[in-house]
Amino acid sequence: MSEPEGCLLHEWLLRTARESPDAVAILEDGRQTSFRELLKQAGSVASAFIELGVRQGDRVGLVLPKTTESIVAVFASLFAGASYVPIHPRWPGERIAAALEDCGAAVAVAESEGVLGVRRRNGDGTVEWKQALSQSPVIRPVAQSAADPAIILFTSGSTGSPKGVVLSHGAVSAFVRWTAQEFQIDSGDRVASPSPLGFDLSTFDIFGMALCGATCVVVPESFVWMPRFLVQYLRDSRITCWYSVPSILAGMYQDGGLADGGAPDLRVALFAGEVFSSPKVALLQAALPNVVWANLYGPTETNVVTWYRVPPGFDSSEPLPIGKACPYAEVTMDTETGELLAGGASTMSGYWNRLEETARAFIDLDGKRYYRTGDRVSSGPSGDYTFIGRLDRQVKRRGFRIELGEIEAVLARHPGVVEAAAVAYDSGDRGTAIAAFVRLAPREAPSIIEIKGHCARSLPLYMAPDRVVIVENIPKGNRGKIDYASLKKAAEDSNRGD
Amino acid sequence: MEIKVEVRKYLIENLMTDGPAISLGDTTPLITGGLIDSIGMISLVRFIEGRFGIVFAPREIDAQRLDTLDEIESLVSKKLTQAARAS
Repeated sequence: MSEPEGCLLHEWLLRTARESPDAVAILEDGRQTSFRELLKQAGSVASAFIELGVRQGDRVGLVLPKTTESIVAVFASLFAGASYVPIHPRWPGERIAAALEDCGAAVAVAESEGVLGVRRRNGDGTVEWKQALSQSPVIRPVAQSAADPAIILFTSGSTGSPKGVVLSHGAVSAFVRWTAQEFQIDSGDRVASPSPLGFDLSTFDIFGMALCGATCVVVPESFVWMPRFLVQYLRDSRITCWYSVPSILAGMYQDGGLADGGAPDLRVALFAGEVFSSPKVALLQAALPNVVWANLYGPTETNVVTWYRVPPGFDSSEPLPIGKACPYAEVTMDTETGELLAGGASTMSGYWNRLEETARAFIDLDGKRYYRTGDRVSSGPSGDYTFIGRLDRQVKRRGFRIELGEIEAVLARHPGVVEAAAVAYDSGDRGTAIAAFVRLAPREAPSIIEIKGHCARSLPLYMAPDRVVIVENIPKGNRGKIDYASLKKAAEDSNRGD
Repeated sequence: MEIKVEVRKYLIENLMTDGPAISLGDTTPLITGGLIDSIGMISLVRFIEGRFGIVFAPREIDAQRLDTLDEIESLVSKKLTQAARAS
């Protein structure tokens, strides 16, 4: 297939703003922004970026929660010919600085002492957001191609620091175009994803809005703490298409009253990022039978590559399949290991600045390039794939991807820690939990609070261990390798109160 | 009613899986210190609402407002005073 026409993400906004300037592009807690206004603001901020030295092919760091302003900054980055790098502001400061440094961001948009502004990473130069909005907009056709990077998403790295997944305009476009077509999204829809900007899930609502002329409903991040606020917001904002991790949907059902008239306008509910237990999906489907429920699958490196529409009355005694390949994706299974291999239009260009890791991530088969997902799958008679487990030590927790090795590397950096081993275990109602076993230096033994605080200063909170267990020795197998199976059993046993 | 005493007891018994080895100070950061996560936060809010008979509104709950026992006590007292005035 040659380069599909019109897959530059910001050109979608240009077209929609020309065709329906007064339609609502963004709705955030009662505040509306029209397509005309969104385009104007994005152009103004792009102009501020360029004045601060952003050039075509550069990176713009967005240290922001998902808000109207951050969506403006997303399009501004693309209009300036740059790619955007979302970084969650709640990350510890050292991790934020390391990510900005790693991707060589020319500028970063962030809030500092309550004031939103654009700052040069190296050297002086700050433009306050309000000032940026008053610049005359730059909406110029930038010579870009579908292969140019649009987004760099940081994800947990097993060696101790996060790595940046580079997604091109074409890669994002393949996924967004498909969702628009498959789920018939149009200008009457209100689409929402409560995921932060740094999740690939957030490409669905932001670019679905620009492509289809739909309204992107921004879900305030603090609402995610409380399912009943989410349901109230979903109902009041009349959201029609929802895309989130399963744990948020399950929370809205169990604690938020989603099934009791909580979603009168909802017609499509998509979920991805972790395994959704079949009985829970069955409950949701039975409660809201007119909603299309679909399981979307794919690691950040490929975005969504397979999907499964939950059929009415499906067999909830079996795990929910991840389904078949999306039309733009190439999917196959390594028959020896059962590993799912995925490629095609939505796949990443590579890891930012990590040639070796990029080379290791891919495998060539019959002249096609596949990403090795590390996910073990089975293939059923209907051709649907089902996820079985991981081939490595990566785990998912509420949709967040975690390399246990990264937690161990951070623990080992504490001067009082001699050795550390992390395991994930099932903690029942609270889902996947992480236990860290640490052997301490005899003279300067830190407290558990100190060790947890150290983790919270270096890792996002979702990666911080739930339990820290101080041990005299970390059990080893006969070749000196850490015996993770016995540690996992110890964590599970003590969780049950044994 | 000793708000901090009850909340501390709840946190240690229900959310601190490290067991009694942990000692929680009034200013120990709970969320930003990596002691409880978002799921723990939801349980804590549910406990506080049930135990003290108050209802939180959207935007009242975030890591900046409920990160330490001192902050929890101050928010809960404020809510209780508001509720008393309203009744």
